[in-house]
Amino acid sequence: MKKILCLCFVFLLILSGTLSAQESIIETIQKRGVIRVGMSTFVPWAMKDKQGNLVGFEIDVAKKLADDMGVKIEFVPTAWSGIIPALLTGKFDVIIGGMGITPQRNLKVNFTIPYDYSGMSMVAHKARAKGFSSLADFNKKDVSIAVRMGTTAEQSVRKYMPNATLKLFENEGQALQELNLGRVHAVVSSAPMPIFHALKYPDKLFVPLKENFTKEPIGFALRKGDHDALNYLNNWVLNMHAQGFLKEKKAYWFQSKKWEDLVK
Amino acid sequence: MLNNKSYKFTIIDIAVIVFVIAAISIFFLRMSSTLDYKWEWDAIPSYFFFLDTATGELKANILVRGFATTVKLSFWATLIGFLLGTLSGMMGAKGSFEQRFISRTYVETIRNIPSLVLVIIFYYFVSSQFLDVLNLDKYLRNSSQTVQQIVGLLFSGPDQINAFLSAVIALGIYEGAYVSEIVRGGIISIPNGQWEAAWSIGLSRQKTFFLVILPQTFRKIAFPLAGQFISTIKDSAIVSVISIQELTFQGMELMAATFLTFEIWITIAALYFILTFSFSRSVAFLERKYALK
Repeated sequence: MKKILCLCFVFLLILSGTLSAQESIIETIQKRGVIRVGMSTFVPWAMKDKQGNLVGFEIDVAKKLADDMGVKIEFVPTAWSGIIPALLTGKFDVIIGGMGITPQRNLKVNFTIPYDYSGMSMVAHKARAKGFSSLADFNKKDVSIAVRMGTTAEQSVRKYMPNATLKLFENEGQALQELNLGRVHAVVSSAPMPIFHALKYPDKLFVPLKENFTKEPIGFALRKGDHDALNYLNNWVLNMHAQGFLKEKKAYWFQSKKWEDLVK
Repeated sequence: MLNNKSYKFTIIDIAVIVFVIAAISIFFLRMSSTLDYKWEWDAIPSYFFFLDTATGELKANILVRGFATTVKLSFWATLIGFLLGTLSGMMGAKGSFEQRFISRTYVETIRNIPSLVLVIIFYYFVSSQFLDVLNLDKYLRNSSQTVQQIVGLLFSGPDQINAFLSAVIALGIYEGAYVSEIVRGGIISIPNGQWEAAWSIGLSRQKTFFLVILPQTFRKIAFPLAGQFISTIKDSAIVSVISIQELTFQGMELMAATFLTFEIWITIAALYFILTFSFSRSVAFLERKYALK
């Protein structure tokens, strides 16, 4: 009896493995009638508004995608540090979360062609980082910089300011809190959030660098080996570029602050 | 018993109250002066309830929904932990060699793994292999609106059901190990005379255990057990790492969006306190009601 049970389990496991390997997520999504999207809160990419609904650039992109596929959408808010393992273990179909395409990440997941470009920007404490105006000023041993764990911001600080001391946080809010308290010299994060934050506390914070110091492509991430889905999503992104949808949404979320009343 | 003593307001009570108020005001004073923190409490109430302008109804917002998930999570985890722990505790106290071996292995394994690791391992490895194969979310999506509402009320909606169940089971298994030790200790503490007395009036071993020993055990372990349940409620916060939308996770999402770090953490702490304190008071009430006079 025990042997039969064991065999059944093994059989089930193999079955579930092969099934998911053969079928494209495009078909799975169509059958299910729901696309499951992994994301994490990043202002203004994705955040909760006053009514507890998700809003933001990514949210608009994902909703449009679901609309075009003719399915409903389910967002799976996930801690950023665990988002790739969650994708690989099938907790959702695709990551639409402002994920920068990096060679290291690409070893584990497939990326679509970029639907947006983002860059790293910096906000610094007026008193602590007095007179700092270049990356070289921050690249010193006694300078500490706070970033969100597992983001491309972390990698960019390691690359451009290797001598600075890194402080890692699970959320942007905690990193910014540290900056407001003057415990770190600066916070590095994807534009435009650092600039918005500096505008909010003009007497305490400032933006030391006039331009973003990196430029990184942003793509949807999905599990490897699914060429149908990759093809579908790539062409969807091409289409959205051509229609001007992405440009329009980007102008709304990144260049204006019209959405601020939605959140607070 | 001491319960009948009437309370008198003494100088010590006044001193304690003054001390608590002073400590709280010093905390807030330090916060605003040294840390230079700008308090913005006025936004917090809207995260509990908001007025839907379309329908004019008052609707539950993020914090209330997170609170409800925490309550559901703690309830089911406590239930699983209690059943598992009682079984394992009985096996550990009075079972055969094999039963004691199983009980010890369970307790020692779980107790010596950090809860965070257990939850993550369970979510990524174990539940991916078992829960996802069951396709519960698919059945739930295809079922009728009423079924979905009932399941949503008791557990969670189809978008979170797999993660929710894996969190409940992992937490239940974790708490069960501690409950097991409490129950085992309780059973052992019942004097041998109770067993002998029961046998001498002709009760079988099983009847003795369930009718004589176990009721006494539960009366004895009510308080430590309540303590364990309270800690289950607080431990439920760790499942935020697997993105269950409970109180802590919702609070952290809110902080990421609004940057109101301290206001939201303090609110969350108050909500946990309401939950755990009301629970411990009701246990105290039951304890008084069923105490041996």
